[in-house]
Amino acid sequence: MEDMYHADRAMSTQQDIKIKADKVQVYYADNHAIKDVDVEIADKTVTAFIGPSGCGKSTFLRCLNRMNDTIDICRVEGDITIDGEDIYDPKVDPVQLRAKVGMVFQKPNPFPKSIYDNVAYGPKIHGLARNKAELDEIVEKSLRKAALWNEAKDRLTAPGTGLSGGQQQRLCIARAIATAPEVLLMDEPCSALDPIATAQVEELIDELRQSYSVVIVTHSMQQAARVSQKTAFFHLGNLVEYDDTDKIFTNPEDSRTESYISGRIG
Amino acid sequence: MNEHISSAYDRDLEAITTLIMKMGGLVEDAILKAAKSLADRDVELAEEVRANDKAIDALEVQINEEAARVIALRAPVSKDLRSILTVLRLSASLERIGDYAKNIAKRTSVLVGMNPVNGSDSALRRMAREVEQMLKDTLDAYVRGDATLAEDVRQRDHEVDQMYNALFREFLTFMMEDPRNITACMHLHFMAKNIERMGDLTTNMAEQVIYLVTGEMPEEARPKSDKTAFVTNPS
Repeated sequence: MEDMYHADRAMSTQQDIKIKADKVQVYYADNHAIKDVDVEIADKTVTAFIGPSGCGKSTFLRCLNRMNDTIDICRVEGDITIDGEDIYDPKVDPVQLRAKVGMVFQKPNPFPKSIYDNVAYGPKIHGLARNKAELDEIVEKSLRKAALWNEAKDRLTAPGTGLSGGQQQRLCIARAIATAPEVLLMDEPCSALDPIATAQVEELIDELRQSYSVVIVTHSMQQAARVSQKTAFFHLGNLVEYDDTDKIFTNPEDSRTESYISGRIG
Repeated sequence: MNEHISSAYDRDLEAITTLIMKMGGLVEDAILKAAKSLADRDVELAEEVRANDKAIDALEVQINEEAARVIALRAPVSKDLRSILTVLRLSASLERIGDYAKNIAKRTSVLVGMNPVNGSDSALRRMAREVEQMLKDTLDAYVRGDATLAEDVRQRDHEVDQMYNALFREFLTFMMEDPRNITACMHLHFMAKNIERMGDLTTNMAEQVIYLVTGEMPEEARPKSDKTAFVTNPS
């Protein structure tokens, strides 16, 4: 039984490579923010990026759906491929890319619209629904996946901003998955939530892993340990260590990782 | 290893280490005194060993509570986690070793009324000294984070096993020579077995120290020399 459990765990982390980064450099003007990062992110796996503030983990996360394009002084070098396709290829439409690579931010940021419209917005602009019935279905499915349906089904026309913080964050997750993405990026999705809402979002992340490749940036070591199968530790723009989460938290290779996760002076 | 940003965390961990060392010191003392009480037929000393075991048991409880508190409050990871797991196992082993010493002391109080069996007292005492030295080195290895010394202890257990093998055969011979030796030899044999088990527990502790330092349990087999499980009637 034990063996089966371990075999199952091992299987579930041995997945195809979804995202591959090769010698990625990011500059903000003269500031070299990401240095030579190589990483392979598996499909159907939760990968956590950890590291002190300013280490580049969010910057790197934002490279994965070209959110850095919106920053004029930002320059990205190196290759990032998703399913073998170069996402920085001039032929790639960043808007399409972001439908495929969804993102959830630190602070819940629902649109000032109804709950329904928050979720329906993405599928509408990407033309994912041919009629109202299909759109209804997408909205319901997304809200169910985000574990918000039961709380929201009777108030779909109420404003999204009227929900509690934890519900708003789950609404944002529903909005992100409504466009049927393949990758979900989460930048500290629980830092503004209470422990109960955090646990709900973490439970949700674990379920989303069945369908998506999830990459989460978090300042909470315990959260990284709880939700992820792979952990990457960033420090001063370098990817210091990238390994199975249980390895990182029981016996990391690098002393900088060790210092950081155990709260020592590095 | 650098200190924690939270200095109270460092103090908690140090306090637990201190408790382990204190417990270790008491257990070393118990081993030596138990062996001495046998050699000197000193009932009072044996009584002292039995009484002191309560302090050892109390320390184990205290260490477990402190460790549980650190786990609950600090959620230790990595080396900190290994150090907490290690103290839990070290304290459990020390408590068992203390029990074996107590058992030797109990048997001593019975043996004082009997004739010494040819040279076995000093052999048992040598064995006890060897185990005590192994325990001392294990505790040093623990405090200094010295995996090499811990590995050395691990290899030394087979000397204790060999001493036990020799005693086992000796007791068997004495009992066959004269059935009146049987009661004393049975007690003495259990004492030898107790010391041999102390050696095994000390070896487990040394392995735990290796895990603490390197993050991995030693994989290669250590020499096992207790052959008494296969002894048949001497021909």
